[in-house]
Amino acid sequence: MTRLQIEKTKSSPEIDFNPQTHTHLIAGESYPENTTLFYDPVLDWINSYLAEGHEGEITFNIELIYFNSSSSKILLDIFDMLDETKNDKISVNWIHDEDDEAMEEYGEEFEEDIKHIQFNIVTK
Amino acid sequence: MLNQSLYSYKDALDKEGIIFTFCGPISHDIVEGVGITLKSQMQESDVQRTTAMKVFAIFIEQVQNVINYSQERNDFDSDMGMGIIVVGEREGKYFIVGGNKMQNSKVAILESNLADLVAMNKDELKAFYKQKRHHNENDESKGAGLGFIEMARKASEPLTYSFEKIDNESSFFCIEAHI
Repeated sequence: MTRLQIEKTKSSPEIDFNPQTHTHLIAGESYPENTTLFYDPVLDWINSYLAEGHEGEITFNIELIYFNSSSSKILLDIFDMLDETKNDKISVNWIHDEDDEAMEEYGEEFEEDIKHIQFNIVTK
Repeated sequence: MLNQSLYSYKDALDKEGIIFTFCGPISHDIVEGVGITLKSQMQESDVQRTTAMKVFAIFIEQVQNVINYSQERNDFDSDMGMGIIVVGEREGKYFIVGGNKMQNSKVAILESNLADLVAMNKDELKAFYKQKRHHNENDESKGAGLGFIEMARKASEPLTYSFEKIDNESSFFCIEAHI
């Protein structure tokens, strides 16, 4: 498995998925021109990574400032993929600015649908 | 001569409280460029961060709707859609308006979907948003119609909209959100 690194742009987030440290990052703003085109390689990577079945801790840090409605659907797909593994060693840290209530609420809405993995809402 | 009437045009926009308006082919560059300008402009005028983010979020959904769904485009699969976007502020309230041409045959379904949306309260909108996010019922829509629900959730008043028949083929669709 190779590391997946995508630099952030004005409208797409930084992606840094590291199969050595098992700590993965999505950070920045997400309203890409073509959501599918941007996220397909990201979803494919996660799929293959989960298929490898790492047995230790896995962390996804999600540190978004803004995401549009079509990115929201992709985030849900990602969380569903993670949750379907039923692996409680996977944790998602939903990181938001202390005074960003909207982002906190978005995190809570995702959390409501998660059954198996750990989902932590974290202020920075 | 346009150069003689341009001031009165600008003056009319100013009187309406219009901060920004764009009419023509809308591309992703406009989304990024104007979105960022709009954010900086609101930051400089000390607009509350929550309000600024709501205006920005609705602006993004509006422009991406025009890009994705405007009937008026150079090619069927063009990355640009023709339309109008207006952002303004009146008495401390922001308005974001989007408009584009659409096929008459699609008006009835959109009109009924929007009528359902505007009748919902915040809790119903949240439940509907979560339900729609899980399903791919509406194949025609790239974002499962989530954009309108997102706008309705962010807006402080129900969305208003209109359809104006242009000819036997097309109508002009306009939707407005207030914050």
